[in-house]
Amino acid sequence: MNQNTTQFLTLVRREILRFVRRPYNTFLPPIITNALYFSVFGVILGSRIGEIAGVSYLQFVLPGLVVLGAISDSFENASFTIFHGRWNDYIQAVLTSPMSNRSMVAAYVSASALRGVVTSLLIVGVGLIFTSVPVANPVYLVSFLLVITTLFGGLGVIGGLWASDFDYLTVMNQFILRPLVFFGAVFYSLEVLPAFWRNISLLNPMVYMVNGVRYGMIGVTEIDPNTSLAVLTGTTVVVLSIDYVLFRRGYGLAE
Amino acid sequence: MTEPAIRASGLQKRYGDVQALDDLELTVEQGEFFGLLGPNGAGKTTFINTLVGLVHKDRGTAEVFGFDVEDDYREARDRIGVAPQEFNVDRFFPIIEVLEHKAGYHGIGRAEARERAEEALKTVGIWDKRDTRFDWLSGGMKRRFVLARALVSDPDLLILDEPTAGVDVQLRHDLWDIINRMNDAGTTILLTTHYIEEAERLCDRVAIMDDGQKVEVATPDDLMARGTDTIVLELAEIPRTAPRLDVDGITDIELTDEGLAVTAMGGSQTAPAIMRELEAQGHTVTSLDIRRASLEEVFVDMTRDDREYAEVSA
Repeated sequence: MNQNTTQFLTLVRREILRFVRRPYNTFLPPIITNALYFSVFGVILGSRIGEIAGVSYLQFVLPGLVVLGAISDSFENASFTIFHGRWNDYIQAVLTSPMSNRSMVAAYVSASALRGVVTSLLIVGVGLIFTSVPVANPVYLVSFLLVITTLFGGLGVIGGLWASDFDYLTVMNQFILRPLVFFGAVFYSLEVLPAFWRNISLLNPMVYMVNGVRYGMIGVTEIDPNTSLAVLTGTTVVVLSIDYVLFRRGYGLAE
Repeated sequence: MTEPAIRASGLQKRYGDVQALDDLELTVEQGEFFGLLGPNGAGKTTFINTLVGLVHKDRGTAEVFGFDVEDDYREARDRIGVAPQEFNVDRFFPIIEVLEHKAGYHGIGRAEARERAEEALKTVGIWDKRDTRFDWLSGGMKRRFVLARALVSDPDLLILDEPTAGVDVQLRHDLWDIINRMNDAGTTILLTTHYIEEAERLCDRVAIMDDGQKVEVATPDDLMARGTDTIVLELAEIPRTAPRLDVDGITDIELTDEGLAVTAMGGSQTAPAIMRELEAQGHTVTSLDIRRASLEEVFVDMTRDDREYAEVSA
């Protein structure tokens, strides 16, 4: 194994161990939260709503909840680990090593994306308690999950570098990400919206992610999945490039 | 030709109104034990952080074993082990894992990283605490651990920023032994310290920094020789006033309870001429004691007012 690979894998391993060894902080919260979502929105409200797009309401909201958990956790993982490392200065052990900036970004984003994927699987696991979980287009499902967790891992890196206090992390997650997801057609179909609000919703990038994962799971979408995947992949490349430039310039890391 | 371990030229760094590094010129040869002295805010830590990539210089060049610290940062950093003044340790993991990670960041495989981590902990004497997290170590153990982390990548250049700050005498000597062994094995050491005795005892050469500039570089002995020594002479008959002495190098003469105290540059060289002059004036010298300037006194003189020092040197 060459030096670059060893460096990259060491940082990835460190990041994975950090969240795996603290399941009460990392994996238990989305399990509980989603169990509550399924109970309230799926079982209690869902029985009154009936079917949407030919599937039960519970099956309709499941992809959205998977996206919500995946992006929240991948973003939170990257932003927290970088900000916490900066706050306590221990990120300097990485920064003063011979690791390339590219490897550092790749390691932080990969580990964060992995956490997002694991959270997705846990949410699906909780969903299985309440309903059957179809997988209509596995290639699209896996592709969308990988792209959106990578994208939000990359955005989390930017957040972690930008934050100057723990409050910044809360603001980013609670006041930016979650509203976008809630208005991203998680709990409703775009078809039920008036034309004006439907067009406004199309400006929300979460709509494309939710529809993409929904297409992968139940085979139903309101937006062309290939276009969504292409746009999201392009956006991910741009975000990762920004991460690299920020690391190279030492933004938030060096004086 | 062998590249120096560190070469800084025209190095500049400004924070707002503060010029932290001001055209710093400094060379540290391979294998040297080099001390960096200076008052708080002299630019010592900024210089160190420039070498390891935590500070981006405004102008000038800095090289480690011939590798530019920015253009060839990977090669430069691979040769450096740094023990910073502040504790910047990953609190999530037991200390042996922190060392394994650090070795891994230097491209060392897991099995060897484990061996090196154990070896480093044994070297600094805290192997039995290997499964403890950093926060649970005592202050002295924390200082030992930071040194172990600097050693785990087997660096060619060991940078120690105030390594013995706040530790007891025994631990200080233990750390000195470890550092000396590293230096004897060929590792270049760059040490910053506020303990002048430490620099006097350990360093081959010392640079005194002030206001982001190098004031002087010399061996501790050379620096002390440039200080003003005090020559105390007991006379058989104590005069009512201090005699006038026409000897080069004398900066002050006064009568004290101990005798005639003559302050002079290079006391050992000046003393014979002083005795001859006193005897020529009819005094009988019954004893002589030369009290050499300490490195601390020289340091204070140099950093208190550089212009005064320049005038004295001239």
